[in-house]
Amino acid sequence: MRNIALPVLLAASVGLVSCGSAPEEPIEQIIVSEPGGAAAGVKQAAATAPAADDLVSQGKAAFAVCAACHSIEAGAAAGPGPNLNGVIGRKAGTAEGFGFTDAMKASGVTWTEAELDSFMTDPAAKVAGTSMTAGAVNDPEARKAITAYLASLTQ
Amino acid sequence: MTKFQVNGKPVELDMDPATPILWAVREQLEMTGTKFGCGIAQCGACTMHLDGKPIRSCSTPLSQAEGKSITTIEGIAPEDGTLSKVQQAWISEQVPQCGYCQSGQIMSATALLKTNPKPSDEQINSAMAGNVCRCGMYGRIRKAIKVAAGIEESSTQETAA
Amino acid sequence: MNDTVEVEKPAKKKGKWTRRAFIGAGVAAGGALVVGVAVRPGNPVDSLKDIVAGGQGEELINSWVKIGADNVITAIVPHCEMGQGANSTIAQMLADEMDADWEKVRVMDAPADGNYVSKDALRVFAAPGFKGGETMEPTYDGLFTQISKLAGGYVTGGSSSVRSTGQNGMRIAGAAAKEMLVAAAAAEWSVPAAEITTDKSMLAHAKSGKSEPFAKFAAAAATQELPRAPKLKTSKEYKLMGRPMQRTDIPAKVNGTANFGIDGAPEGQALKYAAVKAAPIVGSRVKSMDAATAKGMPGVLQILNMGDFVAVVADGYWQAQQALNSIKTSYEKTDIDALNSNKMFANFGKALDEAGDDGGDSKASEGDVLGVMEGAAKKVEAEYRVPFLAHATMEPMNCTAWVRDGKCDIWTGTQVPLWARSAAAEGAGVGDDDVTMHSAFLGGGFGRRLEPDYVTQAARVAKATGYPVKLIWSREEDTAHDHYRPADISRFKGGLDKEGKLTSWNNVHCSTDEPAESPLVEFYDIPNVSVRNAEVEWPLKLGAWRSVGHSQHGFFVESFVDEAAHAAGKDPVEFRRELLAKSPRHLNVLNGAAKMAGWGSELPEGHGRGIALVRSFNSIVAEVAEVDMTKGMPRVTKVFCCVDAGFAMNPDGLSAQMESGIVYGLTAALYDEITLKDGAVQQSNFHDYRMMRMDDAPDIAVQIINGAPDNLGGAGEPGLPPAAPALANAIFAASGKRIRELPIAKHFA
Repeated sequence: MRNIALPVLLAASVGLVSCGSAPEEPIEQIIVSEPGGAAAGVKQAAATAPAADDLVSQGKAAFAVCAACHSIEAGAAAGPGPNLNGVIGRKAGTAEGFGFTDAMKASGVTWTEAELDSFMTDPAAKVAGTSMTAGAVNDPEARKAITAYLASLTQ
Repeated sequence: MTKFQVNGKPVELDMDPATPILWAVREQLEMTGTKFGCGIAQCGACTMHLDGKPIRSCSTPLSQAEGKSITTIEGIAPEDGTLSKVQQAWISEQVPQCGYCQSGQIMSATALLKTNPKPSDEQINSAMAGNVCRCGMYGRIRKAIKVAAGIEESSTQETAA
Repeated sequence: MNDTVEVEKPAKKKGKWTRRAFIGAGVAAGGALVVGVAVRPGNPVDSLKDIVAGGQGEELINSWVKIGADNVITAIVPHCEMGQGANSTIAQMLADEMDADWEKVRVMDAPADGNYVSKDALRVFAAPGFKGGETMEPTYDGLFTQISKLAGGYVTGGSSSVRSTGQNGMRIAGAAAKEMLVAAAAAEWSVPAAEITTDKSMLAHAKSGKSEPFAKFAAAAATQELPRAPKLKTSKEYKLMGRPMQRTDIPAKVNGTANFGIDGAPEGQALKYAAVKAAPIVGSRVKSMDAATAKGMPGVLQILNMGDFVAVVADGYWQAQQALNSIKTSYEKTDIDALNSNKMFANFGKALDEAGDDGGDSKASEGDVLGVMEGAAKKVEAEYRVPFLAHATMEPMNCTAWVRDGKCDIWTGTQVPLWARSAAAEGAGVGDDDVTMHSAFLGGGFGRRLEPDYVTQAARVAKATGYPVKLIWSREEDTAHDHYRPADISRFKGGLDKEGKLTSWNNVHCSTDEPAESPLVEFYDIPNVSVRNAEVEWPLKLGAWRSVGHSQHGFFVESFVDEAAHAAGKDPVEFRRELLAKSPRHLNVLNGAAKMAGWGSELPEGHGRGIALVRSFNSIVAEVAEVDMTKGMPRVTKVFCCVDAGFAMNPDGLSAQMESGIVYGLTAALYDEITLKDGAVQQSNFHDYRMMRMDDAPDIAVQIINGAPDNLGGAGEPGLPPAAPALANAIFAASGKRIRELPIAKHFA
């Protein structure tokens, strides 16, 4: 296979030579809801439970903010942030499978609920140079719930 | 049903409470000033205020907004039709280029000045480090924040059309 | 010149263009030099009236400028606004030539209609060395007509908007429009045209005391003969050109009202949203799709295997993306399934070995390189390497499409509206003319939005489902399916004579060279030069990435010049001064940057300065970077930039483009690479394709030299190429560590 960097314009015009050929139809099309049928509206997820009362369940829900970057299942691969399963009691910058910043490795922090709370309050203030540039959780209640949730997973 | 306020107006949304606030606001409320950039809170294009504090709305579920107040770029200007000091400085310093990240930049800058009316360069850098500008207008953003804070004089550009 | 010979119109055959009108697109002496547009009534202007002259009482007097009954002048600009501010500057140029009231000038995107093909933009983009004018070669004309037809023109790229459309089109259109208005007023008032003056969109005749707004004569002006050679202002007569006017697009970008592609929607229609995932390896196809989970997920409407990608259409984008994430796919094998970056670079190395000292495709050859090298007092050799790079525009690729009744509407941001229209037509299975394009701001272009692959996807999904669909690429999709800046290896051998002067220069590299002058060093006084390229195969789609080939060759060439300077035992600025003895504009720029930076003055321990000079897109830019090496990872503290773009039409705009290019260049130099593993791109989002942020961005100072008022250069790209070599050279000055492979971060992990 070849892909030659022709001058951009010529490359693009060559691409257009194929114009007029029939567009590729779907090979497989699963229609869950017919167009033009009853307005689909916005469906509520069936599995969504009402807000839980206990702190750990609240924390699990609040962790959605973190889940874009952090995996939480034991053994799951790290994403943009490290896996947080078992984080309480762990020395900062030591979780496997994640490339920590020198700043985090040298922070000397061992994660407790209080340390996590303080880190989530203002990550850059707690560990200057951390790559967690956007992980602050402003709501103290949410922080409390998240740390409780994380603590519940530390066994 | 999630009940909250957006730019001072009460709203109720009947949708999956796990939906990020960004998409609820853009698609259901049809307010498109807030932008999608990365989906993992790395770029700041989606920054809004939740009870006055900056959040990355692409990664904050709707459930977090229950009973709270959201402010978006559409709600940052005074009601008299003028622009906020931050917005004015953004114009006087000719900050935006493509402009796509600027809603988020302005929301982060506004939140910073609310808690810290006279920030140092270091404090500005730290508060704004979560907002990427691919056009690289960081120098102008920093200058505009200082102009809005009254720390530095505005550049004098000629009038716009 | 024969006025009656008909020439085929560039885009479609409707209507006839006279040769004068067509050649008028390039030749001042043969009529107005208005780009790609007929400029007098009776030509396609009439058909354009329907499209552009929307308001009551508006008269389109040519394709570039519209005067409303309210005396508002609208510049119809055939370029996209992607942050470069060029549309605003082009309007500034038009307004100046017209003596228009700047407070009442507006900018409007040209519709995606063949009548706006910017032939001259193509010319500048594809053949930067070509000079237009009275002696246009028929072969060139033929070539560019051909390209216009094939490519559909209307391109925003090559840093060409101001210097081609603005300088060769808009200014002349403005001057012509003014002369036509004056002629109309002269006829009405029965006074000599020469006695009529113009200012702030008003026509006046002092002797009779008559004074009327332009709008009064718009209709009459439209019937005037187009001036054959409208008189342009000299730089001394400029009123608006050369001033730092505020950009017209900025107010909408501070209050959330700016309309980007991702914000577009058909009115009164319930949009559906599509998330997509393309087969991970170029050329591979979806073999199977297991959507059992996705089918039951909330909001999901349709799930599609399109062969080259999988799509989920849902009530909301997040729902679509969540469902897409749950789909398990397998892919057909390709012959690059086992390829990784190391293997690819090894292949590049082999190709360069084969080319040796004199093989490959010659790009420049002067004197006797091998003979002079043989007798050189000192020889310098180096090999440099750069990776693939993604564009990473802030706004991910997206397009909204609605296909119904044999028609297709699209809402998208693109640098090539006419190609995007064709791409949508192809995807929707309709003709180009059945596509209506709704233009929007681009949340960054940088060359990525020259490729309308996402438009075709949206049209295909919209057609298959029947919904108006907003298709948005996730950041992960955007990073992994770009049209990348090519990776490259470049090898140099240089020979120094006894005085430490560079007398021979032998370079061979892999990338094809776009633009053609990107690897060349003709401004340096080196008597024996050989520049060649070796053909290789690339496993990824390639595209134009801000500054294109200059982004690689700027780093290669200016790093090597620095190495040669040190080998010669000379100061890098002094060494370049000698090489620039015959290039006075380049020398001025070099000296300007050195002076700004206080070149030669003391710096603290562990700090260093580096300089680089690159000419690209007809602009000359030198940059001095200051680096702090005391904290391990290099930190760029300051960049001093001196630019000669001929003449700065909007100095603040030019400065902003330099600042932007520098940050874009430093981001890539420090942090970024796209790598391959098992044939697929490994990077996915901003955590592994890192952006420079405010806390690591340098302070930047820009100084402008107006070195050639009639020979404009570009702005959007030329700030970028010197950034990487200036930084690498600074690191060497500070630490003795020579960076020959980008990104820099990998050497300090």
